[in-house]
Order: sequence, then structure tokens, then C-alpha cells
Amino acid sequence: MLDETAPMTEEIFTPTQGYNEEDKHAVFNREFMPHINSMYNFAFRLTMDEDDANDLVQDTYLKAFRFINSFERGTNAKAWLFRILKNSFINDYRKRSKEPSKIDYQEVEATYNSEESAEVEHTSDLRVESVQDMIGDEVANALNSLPVDFRTVIVLCDIEGFTYEEMAKILDIPIGTVRSRLHRARNLLKDKLRDYASTMGYNTQV
Amino acid sequence: MDISTSPRILHDTDSKVSMKTHCENQQECMKMIQAILDGEATAAQKDHFKENMDRCMPCINTYHLEKCVKDALQVKVPKKICPDALLVQIKDLINR
Repeated sequence: MLDETAPMTEEIFTPTQGYNEEDKHAVFNREFMPHINSMYNFAFRLTMDEDDANDLVQDTYLKAFRFINSFERGTNAKAWLFRILKNSFINDYRKRSKEPSKIDYQEVEATYNSEESAEVEHTSDLRVESVQDMIGDEVANALNSLPVDFRTVIVLCDIEGFTYEEMAKILDIPIGTVRSRLHRARNLLKDKLRDYASTMGYNTQV
Repeated sequence: MDISTSPRILHDTDSKVSMKTHCENQQECMKMIQAILDGEATAAQKDHFKENMDRCMPCINTYHLEKCVKDALQVKVPKKICPDALLVQIKDLINR
């Protein structure tokens, strides 16, 4: 489903600066390049494929350089780059993806239909001890199994540490939707972790 | 997480007096707890949390589980590192 249509290029890439060539490279190296590992990790969590993550990160950095006059030095470069990457993922990558059906659209639709509605009572019997016993790959597998919109908000918040306001700008959604989507995503993640704990024989009884 | 908003350690006498075993607002409380752990809670939510989190066992359990899952995501999930070849390629492309 992901998601809303990404904003028109003009909205993000309105030129406000007038850097010379030397300034452009200085801004790029000092403000954009330090975030490349976070960008790559985000791209991988979106695409779940290393080659696609490579392409997405490269496209994003080239786009950032091409439109560098739209970025004001000293402002939030990481959020600006993440927004470009997310939009590139929606507008470019998803359209030419070899495997668009990787996403379970029915599942996404079902979860979205309940996103803004009354909460379904969620009674997780997942135990703290079970989560503490899990290794990183087990938690990562649960995260990776979530529909991409839910995976995205968890990565942005819990792994990258963005604020709700930053996430709203990156995703082009209201803050209230960030909150509710995050809440729903975490409930889904706990369900996955609980199922995994149960499968692996961890004690899930309270 | 500000330590001042952590649920305080309970004393036996406290728990015998008023500990709730059922939370009638569990989903709303969970949202509040998540906002606190995310550093996004309002002052009113923080006050509510401090006043009530030593009285409601389901909320205490929720706090510890939410914190544990968030910590696991932050600390345990492997972070993919950008390959050196991609780094070189990007620098090469913008220097052309």
C-alpha cells in the first residue's frame, strides 16, 4: 500500500540557496555523507534486498547533490535525506520493483482499516524474559515480517531515533497518524515476537 | 528515558493497599507509556504516569515489556553498513 502518494518533486526541491561548486561539495561531504550508514540501513529495511538498497541509496545521494540548493546548511540533513529516500522508494523503486508482490497487500489493507478506528483489544502474553532471550536476528526477522509501512515507523522511531515531528515530515503524514501507526506497528511486532517465542518453546504464559 | 519517570520500586505495604490487577484503559495506557519511552509525552501524561504507575500491575508489566522491545530493536537488531564500494561510487559520481 505504501502509502500516500509521495509529494511532488517541487515541494521538496525548491531551491533556496545559491552554493558555489566548492560549497556544494563541502555541504555534501560534511552534512550528507555522515548519514550514509543510517541511510543504507533504512534502504535495506524498506527493500529487504542489498542490491536494491545500493540502488536506492545511490539514487538518493545523487538526487540530494543535484538539488543541494534546496537544503539549508546546518538544518536537519538526516531528516531531509530520509525524506528523499522514502519518496524515491515510493515513486521510483516500487514502480520498477521486480517483486512488487513481496508486500502482502491484503494484510496491509486489513491493518490499515483498523488503524484509525477503535482499538482492537490487544492482549499480548509476550514476556519480557522471552524478548531478552532472543538474539538480534530473531527480533530482526519479526520486524522484517511486518508490512512496510509499519516496519518503516518502527525503524524511524526505535532504530534511528527520529522524533514524531521529524517522522511526520519524512513520511508526509500528520503527527496523530504517526502516533497511531506506531502504536499499531508495535502491537503487530509484539504479536510476531509472541508467535516466534511460542514456536521456539519460550514460555509465553504469564 | 528519564529515570524520574520510571515506575518506582514497590514496597510490600504499598502493593497490599491499592495494586490493581486489571487495567480498564490498557490500550490508552499503552499509548501513554510508548510516548514516555519515546520522549514524546506531554507534561500531563508524565504526571499521570508518575501518579499511577505504582498502582496498576498491568501498566507496570506493559512498561517493562514496551521498554524491553524498544531496547531490543535499538541494541540487538543488526544494522546494515554501507558497502565501501557504494561509498566510492557515490563520491566518484558527484566528482565527475
